[in-house]
Amino acid sequence: MDRAFQRTKILANHLFQSRPSPPAQTPSLCSNACLNYSPPELSENYAFDIKEMRKLIDGHHVEERDWLFGLMRQSKLFNPRVRGGRVFMSADYNQSMEQQREMTWKRIMYLLERGVFKGWLTEKEEEVEMRRFACFEVLCIFDHSIAIKLGVQFFLWGGAIQFLGTKHHHDKWLRDTENLFFKGCFAMTELGHGSNVRGVETVTTYDSNTGEFVINTPCESAQKYWIGGAAKHATHTIVFSQLNINGTNQGVHAFIAQIRDADGNVCPNIRIADCGHKIGLNGVDNGRIWFDNVRVPRENLLNSVADVSPDGIYLSSINDPDQRFGAFLAPLTAGRVNIALIAVYQSKVGLAIAIRYALTRRAFSLKPNEPEVLLLDYPSHQRRLLPLLAKTYAMSFAGNYLKLLFVRRKSQSNKTIHVVSSSFKATFTWNNMQILQECREACGGQGLKTENRIGHLKGEYDVQSTFEGDNNILMQQVSKALLAEYVAAQKRNKVFKGLGLEHMNKPCPLIPSQLTSTTLRCSQFQMDALRLRERDLLNRFVADVSQCQAKHAFLMSYQLAEDLGKAFSERSIFQTFVEAEATLAAGSLKDVLGMLRSLYALICLEDVAFLRYGYLSMDNAATVRREITKICSELRPHALALVSSFGIPDAFLSPIAFNWIDANSWSSVQH
Amino acid sequence: MASSVSPQQDEVLVEANSFARTLTLNRPKQLNALSFQMISRLLELFLAYEEDPNVKLVIVKGKGRAFCAGGDVAAVVRDIRADCWKAGANFFLKEFTLNYLMATYSKPQVSILNGIVMGGGAGASVHGRFRVATENSVFAMPETALGLFPDVGASYFLSRLPGFFGEYVGLTGSRLDGAEMLACGLATHFVPSAKLPMLEAALCDVDSSDPAIISSIIDQYCEQPSLNEQSVYNRLDVIDRCFSQKTVEEILSALEREVVHRMDGWISATIQTLKKASPTSLKISLRSIRKGRLQGVGPCLVREYRMVCHVMRGEVSKDFFEGCRALLLDKDKNPKWEPSKLELIADGTVDCYFSKVNNEDWEDLKLPTRSKFNLPPFAIAKL
Repeated sequence: MDRAFQRTKILANHLFQSRPSPPAQTPSLCSNACLNYSPPELSENYAFDIKEMRKLIDGHHVEERDWLFGLMRQSKLFNPRVRGGRVFMSADYNQSMEQQREMTWKRIMYLLERGVFKGWLTEKEEEVEMRRFACFEVLCIFDHSIAIKLGVQFFLWGGAIQFLGTKHHHDKWLRDTENLFFKGCFAMTELGHGSNVRGVETVTTYDSNTGEFVINTPCESAQKYWIGGAAKHATHTIVFSQLNINGTNQGVHAFIAQIRDADGNVCPNIRIADCGHKIGLNGVDNGRIWFDNVRVPRENLLNSVADVSPDGIYLSSINDPDQRFGAFLAPLTAGRVNIALIAVYQSKVGLAIAIRYALTRRAFSLKPNEPEVLLLDYPSHQRRLLPLLAKTYAMSFAGNYLKLLFVRRKSQSNKTIHVVSSSFKATFTWNNMQILQECREACGGQGLKTENRIGHLKGEYDVQSTFEGDNNILMQQVSKALLAEYVAAQKRNKVFKGLGLEHMNKPCPLIPSQLTSTTLRCSQFQMDALRLRERDLLNRFVADVSQCQAKHAFLMSYQLAEDLGKAFSERSIFQTFVEAEATLAAGSLKDVLGMLRSLYALICLEDVAFLRYGYLSMDNAATVRREITKICSELRPHALALVSSFGIPDAFLSPIAFNWIDANSWSSVQH
Repeated sequence: MASSVSPQQDEVLVEANSFARTLTLNRPKQLNALSFQMISRLLELFLAYEEDPNVKLVIVKGKGRAFCAGGDVAAVVRDIRADCWKAGANFFLKEFTLNYLMATYSKPQVSILNGIVMGGGAGASVHGRFRVATENSVFAMPETALGLFPDVGASYFLSRLPGFFGEYVGLTGSRLDGAEMLACGLATHFVPSAKLPMLEAALCDVDSSDPAIISSIIDQYCEQPSLNEQSVYNRLDVIDRCFSQKTVEEILSALEREVVHRMDGWISATIQTLKKASPTSLKISLRSIRKGRLQGVGPCLVREYRMVCHVMRGEVSKDFFEGCRALLLDKDKNPKWEPSKLELIADGTVDCYFSKVNNEDWEDLKLPTRSKFNLPPFAIAKL
């Protein structure tokens, strides 16, 4: 009865809203709380300086980022739309594939005119590479397609020329690539070969009479596939192909070939087809290419690793074909780092929207006649979103570490960069998909509207687990690399050095039999627990592999390999968190980061491996679980500050993150 | 005390008509420049009207040929000379609090901009719901010529003008007429001054706070003015190309590149104006507008308060005092800026203006709480 009465009252309020209601005790109770949008800014307090937090997690180039946000915010090309009195920037995904591609290109030209890409390929300092990463982190917040179009141009095409070419290539191509006079693409994947690049079937031979290479697609499975930029805009491509010199296959090499003239006409002996509509990234013109004995000058071989003399003699400074091949994949590393970083920013978008919504949307009253409860005041909702917030902060610190590792690279650090970038790329992109899905569900039906972004982002970012290295394969490579470290250390009777494995040299850490709240929040304990899992899984993996027949060992031990890859990633990520926290002086910022760090560690401890292999007792596992809910409730008051610290301008979030009632009002329909 | 009701309070005339209150800025000789007392009085009135259910609408206008020519900075400089920089800071603390209240006001404010609207005058009007321009309107944010920067929440409203027009208006101090104000959105309506008495009379009969109703009343007296052929608003393409550049130096060289392409008096004049302004002011103004673009009105005012305290303190640069000397006191119109060139100002120096003021008992601007009012969507959208 009470409920029925309450409903009638609400309806009556609806109907007579404009008139003063009958003598209620206090007039402010007249309007039901759920019918008004109350901005979270007015009720939530910031216990720490969100600008300082942003500086810490963005890490660098904050002014540059804001300038770029501003450039997009002020241009009609970036599709501003007004909802609830605010402007929102998001690409129009209701446009056809053709229109989306055209708009993406126009936006790139606009940014070019403003000098955004200045120095990206022609300057070499660390600062430029960091600035470039910052710009990608900003651009991807607007739209994945624009980031990928530029990623192809600068990281893949430009990167291949930088890494695989020599001075005359740099002089000829880089400046005009930076100003987009040359529009490049990167033809590596084929219909029949993706991850197994060494198996590509495209064949190139050398004609010493004319001094030209002849590139050929011998069969349908050798057609180049998914080549971003090929379907519409690209004038040139890098071709990955087997190099056959006088009947000897020298393995995969990279060549430059022109595929279109300046007017956009496809060149002779090149055939191009469109990959068609995709589940996301429709602003990127992925295409397929066939080469019909295409002739390119001898200088078009990217010859930093190997060369062919005018009379057709094969020359290489690297004799080992495995190493030679490894060198050819170098340009992919920058792209892989970039993908990992971009994933973190999508998680930030998803969480900022879902948490802001949860701070304004109410559902169900605890007692009749009471206002309904804010979503984020439900412990269950906190448990869904706040651990993901902790994960995103952890990924931010790990991303900053990865960036610095990459831009300060030396030849000795190649292995570390490969292992860490592979592991972070796989982990971040998987995390991102999980986070977006949870955020989507946490927004209910509103999460399904494209204008609210989160649901749509799932389609846009799904590809991240596949391109620049399939996640599963990358994680296998991580485990293999760890195994190699182990074997090397054992064989030479040396200590572990690098990849954060130094803890293997020390005695095995012990987990207390009775875990307390204090222990669980201690970073030393958290580190010990994560190291214990990594150490044990590595030992088991080594044992497992050595028991099997050498040839199939890896195939059979895939489950341990997966667990180990995850253990390595999470321990490495955690370590960067601890290091970032250590740079701070005591204070409110450090306190809240401490809570996030503990929450991140404890959700890692919920991994089944801890029970499966007995690192935690069932009692301890239950204690971990209880502690997680406790930290969630302690983080609840900081939720708004923590997502505000992401530094994503309001215009790049979505209507449900703000006044979603006004955004959906009848008056907004009439406009 | 009780007997001294008059002189100061007379600087703001109050007229009550049923549900409307008309506040007239009444210092016509000083072009209604806002004194500390006027600001305090406006703040007091606005706060009281918000609580008063018998007030549904607030009209603000100016006596004489100005709406309001700005804050009374000459008085601020006098106070600082006589006392210390904190006396000046206190002026801005009150003024910015008033700006925030107006921006997030729960009832509509209609400002009648029949004359000069500059600096602080813009702050006392543009944040409100309705701004009525006329053929007599002259708008400008001239602070960079004075060694100051566009404050009073200008980093919020300038940055939200179309394209990079806000950077242009804020850095050059360019003057806009009523038609331009309407075109760029600084004004919401254009009413010929001859119709103002009728408009005011109609507004005084309003018994609603509903913005749609008030807007439709103003609409009845509205005209669509045409932009002057020479209007800067027709130059938006050049403005966008140049004023979107990352730094002041790059903006200047972009303008200079434009001149190479074609001789253009307006571009040359713009370059000259920028070269005459305080280099420090230009740099902090640009940074402030860029930051403001991505912030709500509250954080904008908090940041501007930090900035203005640094300016008043004069530890990083004394350009504000030099500007006031040259333009307001000695009137030799020849300020000697220090540093004198853009390239002499490091990024770190600019950073200083955005940091907390390192001084005992200095505090960031504390914005009045707004949570107890049912804010209209217009106000919520600015948070």
